[in-house]
Amino acid sequence: MSEIENKTEHGSMDGATACAAGDPKNDTGLGLGVIFFIVAFLICFLSGWLLFPKLLYSKHEQPFNFDHVLHVEEAGSCDACHFLREDGTFSGIPKMVSCLECHTDEPMGDTPDELIFAREYVAKEREVPWFVYAKQPDCVFFSHAAHINAAGMDCKTCHGPIGETRTSRPYEENRLTGYSRDIWGKNIWGIKKNSWDRMKMNDCAKCHEQETGHKGYCFQCHK
Amino acid sequence: MIQDKIAHKFGMVIDLDKCTGCGSCTVSCMSENNVPFKEDESDKKDSITWMRVYRLTNGKPFPDAQIVYLPRPCQHCGGTGDHGHSPCVSVCPATATDYGYDTGIVSQIYTRCFGCRYCMVSCPYHARYFNWWDPVWPEGMEKYLSPNVSPRMRGVVEKCSFCYHRYQLAREKAYVDGVDEIAEAAYQTACTTACPAAAITFGDLNNPAHKVHQIVKPDPHPDPMNPGVVGKSRNPKVFRLLERLGTNPKVYYMSEREWVRKLGDSYLEGEWEKVKNIYGSASQ
Amino acid sequence: MKVDRRSFLGLGLGAVAGIAISPVGAKLTDDLSIWTQNWPWTPVPPDGEITYDHSVCSLCPGTCGITVRKIDGRPVKVEGRDTYPVNNGGACLHGIAGLQYLYDPSRVRTPLRKINTRFVPVSWEDALSLVADRLGELREKQTPEALACITDTDQGSVAGLFKHFMAAFGSPNLLTMPDLESWLAKAAETLHGSGHTLGFDLDHADFVLSFGAGLIDGWGSPVACFKAVAGRKQRDAKLIQFEPRLSNTAAAADKWIPVNPGTEADLALAMCGVLLRENLFEPEFADGFKGGFMRFNAMVQEKYPVEAVADLTGVPAVIIEETAIAFAKAKMPVALPGKGRGDGAQSLKEFAAVHTLNCLVGNINKKGGTFVRQNTDYLDFPYPVQDAVARKGMAAPRQAASVQELTARINQSGESELKVLMVYNANPCYSLNDPSSIRTAFEKIPFKVCFSSFMDETAMVSDVILPISTFLERMEDVPSKAGFAGSVVGLAKPVVNPVFDTRSPGDAVIQIARALGGTLSQSFGWRNYEACLEEVAAGIWDDLIRQGYAVLLNPFPAEPVTTDFAFLAENPETIQPAGEYEFTLIPIDNIGITTTVPASSPFAIKTVSDRIIKGQDMFVEINPQTASGLKDGGFVTLTTPAGSARVRVDFNDGIMPGVIGMVKGLGHRFDNKYVAGKGVNVNDLISPVIEPGSGTDAAFGVKAGISRA
Repeated sequence: MSEIENKTEHGSMDGATACAAGDPKNDTGLGLGVIFFIVAFLICFLSGWLLFPKLLYSKHEQPFNFDHVLHVEEAGSCDACHFLREDGTFSGIPKMVSCLECHTDEPMGDTPDELIFAREYVAKEREVPWFVYAKQPDCVFFSHAAHINAAGMDCKTCHGPIGETRTSRPYEENRLTGYSRDIWGKNIWGIKKNSWDRMKMNDCAKCHEQETGHKGYCFQCHK
Repeated sequence: MIQDKIAHKFGMVIDLDKCTGCGSCTVSCMSENNVPFKEDESDKKDSITWMRVYRLTNGKPFPDAQIVYLPRPCQHCGGTGDHGHSPCVSVCPATATDYGYDTGIVSQIYTRCFGCRYCMVSCPYHARYFNWWDPVWPEGMEKYLSPNVSPRMRGVVEKCSFCYHRYQLAREKAYVDGVDEIAEAAYQTACTTACPAAAITFGDLNNPAHKVHQIVKPDPHPDPMNPGVVGKSRNPKVFRLLERLGTNPKVYYMSEREWVRKLGDSYLEGEWEKVKNIYGSASQ
Repeated sequence: MKVDRRSFLGLGLGAVAGIAISPVGAKLTDDLSIWTQNWPWTPVPPDGEITYDHSVCSLCPGTCGITVRKIDGRPVKVEGRDTYPVNNGGACLHGIAGLQYLYDPSRVRTPLRKINTRFVPVSWEDALSLVADRLGELREKQTPEALACITDTDQGSVAGLFKHFMAAFGSPNLLTMPDLESWLAKAAETLHGSGHTLGFDLDHADFVLSFGAGLIDGWGSPVACFKAVAGRKQRDAKLIQFEPRLSNTAAAADKWIPVNPGTEADLALAMCGVLLRENLFEPEFADGFKGGFMRFNAMVQEKYPVEAVADLTGVPAVIIEETAIAFAKAKMPVALPGKGRGDGAQSLKEFAAVHTLNCLVGNINKKGGTFVRQNTDYLDFPYPVQDAVARKGMAAPRQAASVQELTARINQSGESELKVLMVYNANPCYSLNDPSSIRTAFEKIPFKVCFSSFMDETAMVSDVILPISTFLERMEDVPSKAGFAGSVVGLAKPVVNPVFDTRSPGDAVIQIARALGGTLSQSFGWRNYEACLEEVAAGIWDDLIRQGYAVLLNPFPAEPVTTDFAFLAENPETIQPAGEYEFTLIPIDNIGITTTVPASSPFAIKTVSDRIIKGQDMFVEINPQTASGLKDGGFVTLTTPAGSARVRVDFNDGIMPGVIGMVKGLGHRFDNKYVAGKGVNVNDLISPVIEPGSGTDAAFGVKAGISRA
């Protein structure tokens, strides 16, 4: 980082020297130029780090808070609700039918979220319009069966400890791409600490190369 | 678990004596793969039909005239020597199309394609189509679109994928069933299952148990006269289109009629006589 | 210190440097490249659970079983249903494109009423009471026979409800459109007595002699016919096709024998003569011959000598003889009548003559033969409750035997005797010959009600349109017909809720009857159509619900068959096409284009060759030998007694010299840019010729002149 900074500063000094060489008497602008430089640098640097991520993503609150911990306790495991269907396709976020295996239009607990669920969705026979953090774009085909059944992976490897959350974080959508923030990762540099931090094509390819010896052909993951 | 290590080579053989030219395959394909349509589809150069049925005649005057219909999906060429250098794959500057060595299927990734149309120029079979316009469905009709195939957008090329999504679905089923191999019937293209005359046979050309292999009897050795040609049929009634080019298509055609088989290539005078009794007719 | 150029330089450089070491550059580069791949306006079809629904397609008389693939209840694909006894997997392009009909731009979305010349949306209740009021007036005036009704078919419970309605209302004027089944029934009635129909065991026949039957051009139950034709090789069966044109069927046949259009009946009778002369008919079956068999024999020997018929038909005498003998000597021969799809204008003489060949060789009610069977009436409607008005009306003479006879009669009279017309699932103002005369007649009928899913030519001339759910949105029994060997009733089930404000036609009829009150209300005591179907089809209901179909007759009929030769022994006249021009124009049936209801789907139109339609111009096929002075692809004016059209020329070596052909099913004139406004409706050019024996139009073509445009 500092190297770039140095280079840039040198660049500006070079420019100044060149200028001064042309007009040796008039060198007072340099100091102000440096201040301007520093101010502009700081503003842009800080906006790039702090403001830009805020502007880049729009935040959507989930329709109501969902307590994964509670549900895992009650239902047992992830695949109690997020299961593979008999034909091998993945059910994804459960539909109301699945919820109603336990729930009724009477709230089961006394949280406000329970009330919203029962009143707004169960009673009105509407599906809950959840935002899907791990949503991939339409051109992607992803086989849960291949990863769970064939490769024996657990949910956490890609989805992280979502089963251990008590509250639903807001869904963040990239204003340019329309993708979920989880695809690029929370970290604005896209730096990855955990296997689930980023879910871009290269991440898939990397794991595929390690596990199967080949990145895979286009059609393996694209439709 | 499915043995990914065993390479499949999916292909089909179309019995031109059974084909009635009815167009069920074309419509089934369009309906399966979210192919759009527009007000005027009579300019066939820009009419997107992954599976197109050509009407061919023997060129003789009445009453000796004869017609044959030739359905033409993407030929899923293996390229010279069957090494995967399909004519279209080797020219794509965007890597929007590649050759799946595990299936022998040539892919097309719409989001990756930037519409240079080199592949269309290089394809000897006119199997690729360019989206000159955004697809527009009449109000409400987009509700019948299938989630298994991404709808395309203007400015990209599309073509037959051998219904790869059906292969994906068959694999998913195989994973949950814990079976090692995808049964022949579990992966069939939309054109094959739609054909009312059962003229299309689809399967793994590498699998001797599959019907397509039994009909085609592909020769594993290169043609001694034309070493770029691999997988020639050992059935004298079976041929491929422009086989001498060495594109090694995975779509084979079958006919009892000699004049039909002769239509598989543009033979110069006298050439056909020399090769007509050699199976596959690709020599020279 | 003063602000100068360098300060700004510093500002700029600082900004660049600040951005450069922030994540903005890297992130935006990535995001923008993804952004260029995003097309937010292209639809993203929602994913979900895949399920399959079984149903039956009723787009054509083929009645194929279908399987509809659904994603979270949303239908996405129609495919042929495996193991369904008619099509056994496989489907035709129209069925596969069936989902397009749900959202067709020309669908009628709500009941409509014509005020002056414009259609205005009305509620179902208003529309039904409007219809009931007009019908009630007829009964008040004690003239119920002034109501006529046209349906697409007389098979199945919806047609049964219309029949029930007409009987309770008191009008004998119930007419059906001429489809293959109606022609086969007419032929069977003529030769074997009323209540019979014909089926053909094409799956097993080893010698099929087709008199223009387009087995792979849409004749009969298309998918079953495709399979029979394609399976010939394995069975070592032969298909001989007599036809003026190298149709797809002729091209797929083992032998194509060109025959002058309209002379098929003469050809069949000459072949009958050969069989009788050579004593090649089946003596055992001949026991059932009656009604002038000897007279018939003498007649064919006298009037249809092979040499003379050879001149007339253009088929060499030796071929006639050889083919007749080969037919008689085959183990399982079948002769097929019905040119093209076998619907529309056909000739009873031709049907009877061709079927007489079957009777002579005696391959009747045997494997690989022709099935002569009683109409399998699986529907048990209660007797309608009739009052005096209804009884009086039913006693009135029927106005006509066919739609064309009816409209001709209306056009001849000053004022229409008919006051109300109901049309269900039929488009006579398009699909019959000379539709403009039919429109003229319809305009003279004061009140027309159209039960239609689409705003087609007939709906457009109606006063009230009752929008009907498509076959994917409603329940209905669908009996096999149109020459299909078996006797299967399928149950079409709604695979999706009605997309628009439409109702099942059965419900609409019941509701009209209810609104009329009195004996009509009593005759229609059912809660709704589904309750009605369950009651009238009680005998097979369990099968319908359990497996989606019921097999009525297996494997083939056993009752003895008698054959009455009286009709043919009189040597009825062969129909001649109207006009005095150089060429004979024949309509061509193309499997990709529907000719009745509904019009083709956008997908179907997409498969049509650019040598049939190019832009909005249509082609006429002509043999280059008789096209002197014409250019392939050039424009010409086609003139017939019925009208003229500007078309392009398509040189085709597969059509007889002197014959020209135009594809049927184009030239629609309604609001659907994907389907309508393309080409010419060939029916516009053909003048109907009513055949005396059948009372139905039998104009197989028309004389036409060509001049360069």
